[in-house]
Amino acid sequence: MYRRIQQPLHLLASRISRHCPRQRIRPFTSRSRRALDDDSSSAAAWKIAIVGSGPSGCYTGKYLLKSDAMANSQIDVLDRLPTPYGLVRNGVAPDHPEVKSVHHDFDSLFMKDGNEDNGQNLLNFYGNVTVGTDISLEELREIYDVVVLAYGCESVRPYDFIQNSKLEGILSAREFVSWYNGHVDYEWVGPLVEKALKRGSGQQQVVVIGHGNVALDCARILAKTREELDPTDIAARSLNIIDQQNRREISVIGRRGHVQAAFTIKEARELTRLDDANFVVRKDELDMGRTEASKQEINAARPRKRMEKLLTDAAAATSAMKNNTDDDDSQKKAAEVHLRFLLNPTSFETKDGSSLSHVTCERTRLVGDAGSQSAEGTGEMETIEAQLALVSIGYKGVAIPGTEEWYDDKRGILKNTHGLIEGSKEDLGGLYVSGWLKRGPSGIIGTNITDAKDTVASILHALKSSSPVDPKEGWKSIDETLKEKGINPVNWDGYRRIDAEERSPSRKRSELQPREKICSREEQLKAAFSS
Amino acid sequence: MFSNRLRQTASRIAPRLHQKSSSSPSAAAIAKRWHGGPHVAADAPTITVTFLQPDETKKEVAARIGESFLQVAHRNDIDLEGACEGVCACSTCHLIFPMDVYDALEYPEEDEEDMLDMAFGLTESSRLGCQVLISEEMDGIMVEMPKATRNFYVDGHVPQPH
Ligand SMILES: Cc1cc2nc3c(=O)[nH]c(=O)nc-3n(C[C@H](O)[C@H](O)[C@H](O)COP(=O)(O)OP(=O)(O)OC[C@H]3O[C@@H](n4cnc5c(N)ncnc54)[C@H](O)[C@@H]3O)c2cc1C
Repeated sequence: MYRRIQQPLHLLASRISRHCPRQRIRPFTSRSRRALDDDSSSAAAWKIAIVGSGPSGCYTGKYLLKSDAMANSQIDVLDRLPTPYGLVRNGVAPDHPEVKSVHHDFDSLFMKDGNEDNGQNLLNFYGNVTVGTDISLEELREIYDVVVLAYGCESVRPYDFIQNSKLEGILSAREFVSWYNGHVDYEWVGPLVEKALKRGSGQQQVVVIGHGNVALDCARILAKTREELDPTDIAARSLNIIDQQNRREISVIGRRGHVQAAFTIKEARELTRLDDANFVVRKDELDMGRTEASKQEINAARPRKRMEKLLTDAAAATSAMKNNTDDDDSQKKAAEVHLRFLLNPTSFETKDGSSLSHVTCERTRLVGDAGSQSAEGTGEMETIEAQLALVSIGYKGVAIPGTEEWYDDKRGILKNTHGLIEGSKEDLGGLYVSGWLKRGPSGIIGTNITDAKDTVASILHALKSSSPVDPKEGWKSIDETLKEKGINPVNWDGYRRIDAEERSPSRKRSELQPREKICSREEQLKAAFSS
Repeated sequence: MFSNRLRQTASRIAPRLHQKSSSSPSAAAIAKRWHGGPHVAADAPTITVTFLQPDETKKEVAARIGESFLQVAHRNDIDLEGACEGVCACSTCHLIFPMDVYDALEYPEEDEEDMLDMAFGLTESSRLGCQVLISEEMDGIMVEMPKATRNFYVDGHVPQPH
């Protein structure tokens, strides 16, 4: 699979050094000297590209670096954004800073000033490079011995099965989340959210469709007060729009029952701890969901038992609250989050012909065996008023140009065996996949660890029986190739300049805010290339 | 009743780490990677604990009394992740304790239980390594890191096509 022509390491190094910045030459560290002297155990000078700098790209890099076989290698991480870490920056909710702190671990993997000469192998960052557009996959595979695709999920599962899904006021959760997290491509979402919320006179109503953690993130962010959001890294552009001015009612709806819901208990519990929002769970909906099969599902797994208790308690609290507040308006809180079950959204409705006014849902019932119950329509309809709807039924991976033949459209993944993409062209570098693009959009950040280790094991296994690609006549390094194309990558130092500006006190709302993100690509690039 | 008493004694000998998420650390703190957990002096008395690693190899290390299991692992280059840096916000430092040791520990708090619910390979005696501190009584114990699914492709097993 790999061409087997051994090239003396120092020759290769001098070749690379002509075109690469100083930091990228590795063969002169003490570790590689030793490797050169003792050629039987010398680690080869592999060149590896990782496409995507989210958790899966970073963990793949981390576990490659840990292998002795990589002691002399060059590992480059490319991302289409000028900033690294994927959904850690653009997905994980701003009020989960402790989840975002994983970026410290990732920071330590990358090349930085003063870190070059301690013999420690590090990753190189190439931000602002879109693979498939700026540089083709085939070109990458000419440059590198191994290319790992870890570019996550750039799209969502289609929701046009719900009628009128193009009405104004309907967004995917991915669009909404990217916007409140300051993703540079989602500025356009702001005016739409603002307009929708303004249409709710007196009371703003939002429907979130889906029962995963992303749906609960959206609901929670919408239910929090300015005081709760102020110390987070939520972008100012979004905070000013989300800020509660009116009463707000947020309904999170899903087709199946509470026992089948995909959200986890930490996120559900957070809804019970909001400063100025009530968490509403209906006892009758929990009862409807407790089929014999559901009871088996509850008993089979500890997380289900604990969730059952949490929601049962929440339903009891809801009834108690209702008795207290029915005749006392002053006890009402600014927001209410209704977690609704066994409701299937069938169509979005409009009164003015262009913007959303309500969502029509059909009541469902559960049918089938434990572990595979599905929702069946009962014919009973319910409408929920809403000016804004966020559809949160799943992120979805896409095929970038050059990957079409391995793309599984149903799952939104690239077909692979333990990360190896089989049947890719023999005369090019090996092709692998890691993370959400490998297994689909599920699991937590930690899930990408075992997943990355699995891909790394496949890579190391394959490399054991091959040698680095002998650069062909006219071979060009990544730096040269990008330069020729007029693409200016953001390297690690460039990213650190963006990072420093975002953290500077003059940008932040308060000392507590970790950073005020730069939300436009142009401004990020300006910061990255300033010196 | 008996086990209850045991728990009470245990809570004295095996204090829990109460740590809430902190706000974002300074730039200096970032440069020097920061790990959550108590500061325990390098010359603190130690005991011996063994980590049974996912590849079934054992690693016996000196653990300072008062440190968390996560800190012990990191100091000894054991691949226990701790993605949230020891503040009970992920489940990557999941460890499986011997049942008698688990029983002797103070009950985990709700937040830890919530994170354990997301842990891969949860068992009856699972805890988060960042939430359990080393105590004298633990000398000689072995804790197990959950096994990852094996990469049969590499290990020689031919996967079934599907
Ligand atoms: C809204 C949301 C909230 C979440 N909250 C949590 C949480 O609280 N706790 C938790 O544990 N997990 C959470 N997760 C899950 C976690 O974020 C994922 O498990 C993880 O990010 C997946 O990693 P990945 O690297 O596969 O993909 P990603 O993180 O999406 O990274 C993919 C990277 O590839 C880049 N890319 C895309 N296309 C290209 C291209 N053509 N060329 C170059 N680069 C490209 C992207 O810019 C991105 O940086 C959340 C997920 C979402 C969606």
